Amino acid sequence: MIKVTINGKEIELEKAVTVLEAAKSAGIKIPTLCWHQQLEKYGGCRLCLVEVEKMPRLQTACTLMVTDGMVVRTETEAIANVRRSVLEFLLINHPLDCPYCDKAGECELQDLVEKYGARAGRFTEEKRKVPESLEDPVLVRNMERCVVCTRCVRMCEGVQGAAALGVISRGGHSHIEPFSGGKFECEYCGNCVSVCPVGAIMSRLHRHSYRPWQLVSETETICPYCGVGCTLVAQVRDDVIKRVVPRIGTPVNNGLLCSRGRFGYEFVGSKERLTSPLIRKNGVLEESTWEEAISLVAKKLGEIKAKHGSDSIAGIASPRCTNEDNYVFQKFMRVTIGTNNIDSTARTGYAGAQAFIENIFGQGSTANLIPGLANSDVVLVAGGDPTAVNPILGLQIRACARRAGSILTIGHVKGLRHYSPVELRPALFRETLALEGIVSALRNKKGLPGSNQILEAKLKDINTTPQEAAGACGVAEKDFAVFVDRLSGAATPAIVIGKEIVQSSGGNYKLFLLAAINYLVNGRIYLLSERANEQGLLDMGCAPDLLPGYRPLAYAEFRKRYETAWKTAIPERPGLSIFGMIDAAKQGSLKAMYVMGENPVYNLPNSRDVEAALQKVDFLVVQDIFLTETAKLADVVLPALSWSEKSGTFTNMERRIQRVRKAVSREGMEDWRIIAEVARNMASKFHYTGAEEVFAEISKVSPLYRDLAYEEIEKGQSIYPYKGEPLRSTVEEISVDKGAGVVAASRFYLRLERPLFHSGTLSRKAAALVNIYSGALARLSTADAASLGVKDGDVVRVSTKIGSLELPVAVDGAVEQSVVMLTNNFEGKGAFCLAEYAVDPVTGAPVIDCNAVMIEKVER
Amino acid sequence: MFSETAKKELEEIRLKYPNARAALLPALYLAQREFGWLSPEAYEAVSGILGVPKAIARGVGTFYAMYKHKPMGRNIVQLCTNVSCMILGAERLVDFLKNKYGLEPGGTSPDGRFSLVIMECIGACGTAPAMLVNDDFFENLTEKYIEEILEKYK
Repeated sequence: MIKVTINGKEIELEKAVTVLEAAKSAGIKIPTLCWHQQLEKYGGCRLCLVEVEKMPRLQTACTLMVTDGMVVRTETEAIANVRRSVLEFLLINHPLDCPYCDKAGECELQDLVEKYGARAGRFTEEKRKVPESLEDPVLVRNMERCVVCTRCVRMCEGVQGAAALGVISRGGHSHIEPFSGGKFECEYCGNCVSVCPVGAIMSRLHRHSYRPWQLVSETETICPYCGVGCTLVAQVRDDVIKRVVPRIGTPVNNGLLCSRGRFGYEFVGSKERLTSPLIRKNGVLEESTWEEAISLVAKKLGEIKAKHGSDSIAGIASPRCTNEDNYVFQKFMRVTIGTNNIDSTARTGYAGAQAFIENIFGQGSTANLIPGLANSDVVLVAGGDPTAVNPILGLQIRACARRAGSILTIGHVKGLRHYSPVELRPALFRETLALEGIVSALRNKKGLPGSNQILEAKLKDINTTPQEAAGACGVAEKDFAVFVDRLSGAATPAIVIGKEIVQSSGGNYKLFLLAAINYLVNGRIYLLSERANEQGLLDMGCAPDLLPGYRPLAYAEFRKRYETAWKTAIPERPGLSIFGMIDAAKQGSLKAMYVMGENPVYNLPNSRDVEAALQKVDFLVVQDIFLTETAKLADVVLPALSWSEKSGTFTNMERRIQRVRKAVSREGMEDWRIIAEVARNMASKFHYTGAEEVFAEISKVSPLYRDLAYEEIEKGQSIYPYKGEPLRSTVEEISVDKGAGVVAASRFYLRLERPLFHSGTLSRKAAALVNIYSGALARLSTADAASLGVKDGDVVRVSTKIGSLELPVAVDGAVEQSVVMLTNNFEGKGAFCLAEYAVDPVTGAPVIDCNAVMIEKVER
Repeated sequence: MFSETAKKELEEIRLKYPNARAALLPALYLAQREFGWLSPEAYEAVSGILGVPKAIARGVGTFYAMYKHKPMGRNIVQLCTNVSCMILGAERLVDFLKNKYGLEPGGTSPDGRFSLVIMECIGACGTAPAMLVNDDFFENLTEKYIEEILEKYK
């Protein structure tokens, strides 16, 4: 026990902490500027100086550790004098432009000067003039206001890991600059904005349009972008989201955000938002009323059901919508329509991969806590860049590296390149060989644990030699051995799997091999998730073979349970998968489709084919917030409320159930309410007064959400499977289909770029994200660009068997040779219009890595 | 880009230090020798080889006066004008350099032969005024003596 006396108050402490922390624990506030809860200690600003008995000079409370018997005074006249002097120095060059500085009102310098004085400085020299830097599309830098506390630099380097900012020059000339001196050219997480105590680095979004004290409401909600499920706070004035900020202490992101979360909210107020229902009349979508639209939908669906049967209708649910929306939607399909034809874009990777892995390790085994990654000693990344797909999860991997953990990657992972990863870069289509090599090396080294006979039976015959595996990756055998040794020596390894693996040929076999690695090293698996509620949508039963709560439709007792709850019969036959729906539409057996908050014409591979298929459907209903490519084909378009305008829940990839709250209001209906209205018009009893009532029903019928209420969720700890135990551990037969194996025959292959700044239909309507990354590019490796004779900005025609696009080139050192990386994020330029696919026989995911590409330079 | 020999030298420098960041100062000197000054490309090259983020490398480089951040003449004249040197006529010498060679403090002569940097004390107060030309040290300077010295640097 350590006893210290601060300002005459005796404090007892369990362990040595800094004087600042000790004072804080006793409710004594010591002023700080450079200190920040999330950052390494710095001791630079000299504002936290305190008197310590028996120590000759004033000491910095933020760096001084308490010792037993220490006597500290934090507010004496001498200290106040020093603080006043420090502030006077800081104000030498400060412009005191508070009247038009957006920070005024929440500026730490302003507050300190207000408290300690130094209002009238004694310096008569002219203040340093530095023009405000407005070169950057999203961030503005004002170096006159900067107090060089270096919080932004420490955040950028030590937490975010982008290291885009540095302190340039020295002494009175010190200032903060990105490398270019102008544009930040960074990851645009904006975490520097969060920690800046003054108005030196600020967001340009809604600049000069509000004062901090004029923000009338703050709503804590969940980010609408990826599956990490960060908590964000939407600050509102005049019913417009003016700013999105993180909050320290929230479970997933704890005070951090990524570019999409922080700057991607503007789509909510986009002028392109749909405002009223549209009905196709004489081939043209015309504005209509809700009554007309809903009764038309109900009438048409009823007619088609009567004429062609329930299974001629299919629904596509949305990983962007809340649990409540998705629950009501699948119930509508199963109860009102009477079909299991319900699926979503989770089928493009997450759903199948999860089902496959959880079949081996038990349900809930992929639900692992994201912050736990930082505590792993080894993280293996395969199939994508976590720092782009799930940025906040990526930060935990960087934190792991910073704590001396090892990062191992299959392929080059751009976002981790500064973290000394041990890389295996298999040649095109030779990943399998590399993974097999790892499995057999690990097995030979560590032996079989013996706990999973079915899995062991399958991996006994894998006998790829280290030599073959090293050869497939173009490395020496000893480098391959380093990789294997790191894995086999790991105590708490984690394996992070991205979509690139799932969507590659033999994807299920690669997943099996990764599962085998996981089994041999006793690790945990994380599956990257691109959409906010991908997990929740599956939990809600938006899958052709699953009922809510992941209950397989195939078991009569589960069906019976829901039949009792819903007071209706549930068809026994599993429905069509999303790709089955497209095929059925092409063949003409699917007559009607109801698409909620999804854009299959853009978000599914071979998108032009999908477009042709949906055109063949007799009756297409699209419910969305924008007139998407899919909505343009619809017979009826129903405008929905966006994430910030409604209440509900999202379930993240950890299976954390979190509250989405209404931040701004807008006329219209939530997705679930529209569907309930349609159902009511079709004589189904869907009577919910609000999202909470829908959730009450979910918690009654779904075993995963049993007895949960909003109240409990709001405590932030609603996570399943509880206590890390799998809910069901049925190791059934593991079916694996290796596929034929692909031999690289073309000069180039198409690969998908999943950029940090975009995620399709929402992000392209968010002005700030578009400003950061504004158009589709063809990314080529340095060597390939040289051999094609193209440089940055040159236009190339990228063609596959099914189409071609003209795109500007971006030469990117992180791209592998013989591939061209395209994004599927920009209108009319989506990579998916070039990508044919085959469906993986086990996971049901589209295999898109075999698209041979021709690239030719377009001369201008 | 670095020449092959410089690259090799840089890798050797790197091995002398416990981590890449510690090797920054000698690495930047090497880059300055190779590129003539620390251009953005020079920082990128160092950053690329050492794996230290370029913004951090630039932060370190700009802290020190002996790294040059604009193109320099073939020879660098560093003249002290601190107290002792000033008392013994250093400012006259500054004027002399300006008139004779067209050398402004902080500037480069029109023929690109010299750049002039005004220094703060090179520890030669007893034999002031003093200057450095590249890495060579000269003291007890007079106008005539300077003329003689600079004759040797083309």
